[in-house]
Amino acid sequence: MGYFLQQLVNGLELGSLYALVALGYTLIYGILELLNFAHGDVFMVGAFLAAGAAAALVHNEIAAIPGGFVVVLMLLVAMGGAGVLGVAIERVAYRPLRNANRLAPLITAIGVSLFLENAVFVWVSPAPVLVPTNALVSQGVIQAGSVATPLTGLVLFAGALALMIALDLFVFRTRFGSAMRATAQDREAATFMGIDVDRVIMVTFFIASALAGLGGVLFGLRYASVDFFMGYGLGIKAFTAAVIGGIGNIRGAMVGGLLLGVLESLSGGFISTQFQDTFVFLALIAVLLLRPQGLLGQPVTDRA
Amino acid sequence: MSDRRLVLEIRGLTRRFGGLTAVDRFDVDVKEGEIVSLVGPNGAGKTTVFNLISGVLKPTSGSVRMLRTELVGQPAHRITRLGVARTFQNIRVFAQLTVRENILLGTHHWTHSGMLGSATFWPATVRAERAAQAEVDTAIELFRERLQPRLDDPAFALSYANRRRTEIARALAARPKLLLLDEPAAGMNPYERIEIAGLIRAMRDRGLTIFLIEHHMPLVMEISDRVVVMDHGVKIAEGLPKEVHSNPRVVEAYLGRRAASA
Amino acid sequence: MSGQPAVFDGEPGHALKRFWESGPSGWNRTLTRPVVLVPFFVGAAIVPLILQYLEDNSSWIGAQYWTLILATCAMYACLAVALNLVVGYAGLLNLGFIAFFGIGSYAYALVASDQIHLHFPLWAALLVVIVVTLAFALLVGVPALRLRGDYLAIVTLAFGLIMTNLILDLDRPPVLAGHQFGPDGLNITNGTNGLHNVAPFSLPTSLPLLGDIPHYRMYYWVFLGFLALSIFCMLRWRNTRTGRAWVAIREDELAARAMGVNIFKYRLLAFCTSAVMAGIVGMIDAALVFNAYPENFAVQQTVQVFVMAILGGLGSLPGAIIGSIAFTIPPYVLQQFVFYKYLIISVVLIAVMVFRPEGLLGTVSLRPRKALGGTIELLTAESAEEVAEMPAVSGADAAEIEAVTGEIVTPEQKA
Repeated sequence: MGYFLQQLVNGLELGSLYALVALGYTLIYGILELLNFAHGDVFMVGAFLAAGAAAALVHNEIAAIPGGFVVVLMLLVAMGGAGVLGVAIERVAYRPLRNANRLAPLITAIGVSLFLENAVFVWVSPAPVLVPTNALVSQGVIQAGSVATPLTGLVLFAGALALMIALDLFVFRTRFGSAMRATAQDREAATFMGIDVDRVIMVTFFIASALAGLGGVLFGLRYASVDFFMGYGLGIKAFTAAVIGGIGNIRGAMVGGLLLGVLESLSGGFISTQFQDTFVFLALIAVLLLRPQGLLGQPVTDRA
Repeated sequence: MSDRRLVLEIRGLTRRFGGLTAVDRFDVDVKEGEIVSLVGPNGAGKTTVFNLISGVLKPTSGSVRMLRTELVGQPAHRITRLGVARTFQNIRVFAQLTVRENILLGTHHWTHSGMLGSATFWPATVRAERAAQAEVDTAIELFRERLQPRLDDPAFALSYANRRRTEIARALAARPKLLLLDEPAAGMNPYERIEIAGLIRAMRDRGLTIFLIEHHMPLVMEISDRVVVMDHGVKIAEGLPKEVHSNPRVVEAYLGRRAASA
Repeated sequence: MSGQPAVFDGEPGHALKRFWESGPSGWNRTLTRPVVLVPFFVGAAIVPLILQYLEDNSSWIGAQYWTLILATCAMYACLAVALNLVVGYAGLLNLGFIAFFGIGSYAYALVASDQIHLHFPLWAALLVVIVVTLAFALLVGVPALRLRGDYLAIVTLAFGLIMTNLILDLDRPPVLAGHQFGPDGLNITNGTNGLHNVAPFSLPTSLPLLGDIPHYRMYYWVFLGFLALSIFCMLRWRNTRTGRAWVAIREDELAARAMGVNIFKYRLLAFCTSAVMAGIVGMIDAALVFNAYPENFAVQQTVQVFVMAILGGLGSLPGAIIGSIAFTIPPYVLQQFVFYKYLIISVVLIAVMVFRPEGLLGTVSLRPRKALGGTIELLTAESAEEVAEMPAVSGADAAEIEAVTGEIVTPEQKA
């Protein structure tokens, strides 16, 4: 039983990370009907930005300024940087293709993803970069019986939940949020209502990318190492989470993320670690075939 | 007139989109060799009826029978095989294909030519392809002078009228028993309208049954054997052109539009 | 097809001008005529002989190296043609495309090496490769092809990732929930090492007139031969019912359905054919390098083939060849840039998609449409003919037209 609970706790922690990145995927899909394959790599860039900020301020495991301030700085740098990156990508690669055939921005997104991965590989570091997490955050663990919950994991979970609630409120209770929903439903009609669609899309990309950047910081602090390829695997899984929860649905991203994290952790713990990725992808395929709108999504009316 | 067999039998055809009933218990019979026009103000549900017949949309309820065979529930491509061909309101030719290839698409459902056969020059396949090519010649007969010189031009380079002709030729190449024409005269100048009227009659004389949607009332009056009027998804009148034309309900439905006298 | 504007008649200057003006569809039609293709393939086949001659008669040593590069070009050209079939003709974004290449290479390796102690002759091995690849294609295609475009992309991507996973992890018996499936020594795919000592095809090592034929040259010719076969089949299909149906589905699915085309069947045909083609290419590759590697499944490879097909132009066979040459040769020539290879590839992909999505010779229009809204606009490369003006009519005719059509016609005061 203890083993099961431990796997569950691990899964929820992992799932929170997926949820953060999944929120970004779902926001962008909701507003542009675009699967932003590059989103996972924005997460990776955010992680590198944070690692860079940490490296500048931490030498030999000793922080030049209090650890808390370093973390705040990392957050600002990562979220801001990732946000700007996301906006730049939208402007350069996706906006020219906004009215094109659906395949076009998808193909471009793949190109952007490959570009980001290789840009970091070539110009930053081909090898993993370490994050001095010991100097920055408490490595404490809450022990409940045989189940150990790392504090950072708890923060991750709480943070993801808080952000989801904040995002939900923003999208459903504010004026800008209703502009976002209007743009998501019918872009042309939204322009007739006086909504600056370009700005709405830009802000959406910023928020989505900043969330990914946040995920990058938290990942770095939790696992202490970042590399150029980390966005690829995690991106696909976060994307799977968004689809499972219902792509375009904010709560769905959260639910999907947590569910996927738990699924992965449990299947790894109880069936096989060898094939846990395979199970994740099989889950994706199963959801797409049996319930393409995801758990919380609206039934899709159009056909292939 | 009454001893001709029924080609199209529609009973209680209904299509709802959420709260909106686009077509409401629509009934109509079309006999062989008839030219029946479906008219009505914009948004009356006429194209939806065509979409329901051709299998592009599934009805909420009702039945559509073509020569006794039930069409409801069949996929669109099988309905074509049963003898229904159609044209579209906003002409849908295949832009990257030539006129000839567009018309050849009409022959798709009755040509037995597959991947293996074409790659190996299998005799039966070669013969089938040749038969399809010959059909192109038959299909453009009614507007030969217009399309013959443009047969190998890509469809996107054609004028509006020629695209319309290509679309009709394509439908004819499918060797249909029932032809659904959705606003065939839209965007035409008067000369072309006369040509279309003659075309429709000529196609009927060749054994086709024609069910058409049209807005241009004089044309409708000119060529129809019968007229069916729809408004807001409901059939409000049916009969000979002259009868329908002076029907007060029909005039009311068109209130605000200038109805030219026949 | 008869009745084509004859580009080769008349003065050379005029022919070139007419060629240029015929646009992408015209360029493709001209470049795929036998009178262009046959010399191309014959010339391409002779190149290694020329290289050998140069090497024998000078101090240059590079014939083998360059022949192998050309063989790689030919291999990628085959893959680009196959990708063109599934993406350019059928409009399906198969992001797991390279997995079929990998499946083909491993399937052949398994029946031509000591891994599971099977040694099949060429034709039997070919049959195995086709059947296995086809089985996987159906497994993925039948459920996935009912999905919408972007969902199909994800499912095929997930498939590719699952295959990568399986290939790397089936070097030991799978252990699920504590139960081992299979005997202890079970090693199907040899994990990260890949399969070794793959036997090549039993092809002649020397021919009359040509003398001894080294391994690399023979396989260049095999790839070239398969490329020629692929292009031949594609052209035959394009000019018959199957290809017309594919283009129709891509251009206007609704109208295609109305004409009796079974959309699902034709999509599945394109998907499976493309997969089998990729599988056979994988088989030839495994025989050439005597190995089957897990890298054969890498997503970067799919992207690479994508870039080739897109740069060359979707829907264009000559474009696929040009694209594959453009991306295979420069990394070898510009060695110092190899490090930046994928960086450059990704930038090129983005640039092509943003500025010229139809690539060099493409006939598939991915471009943004000017107007959103209900009516489907036809994209014109050339301007459409003006709608026919009403011819001048005399007064009496005008009256008649008015009577029949109800239109108000102004009679011309004819001179």
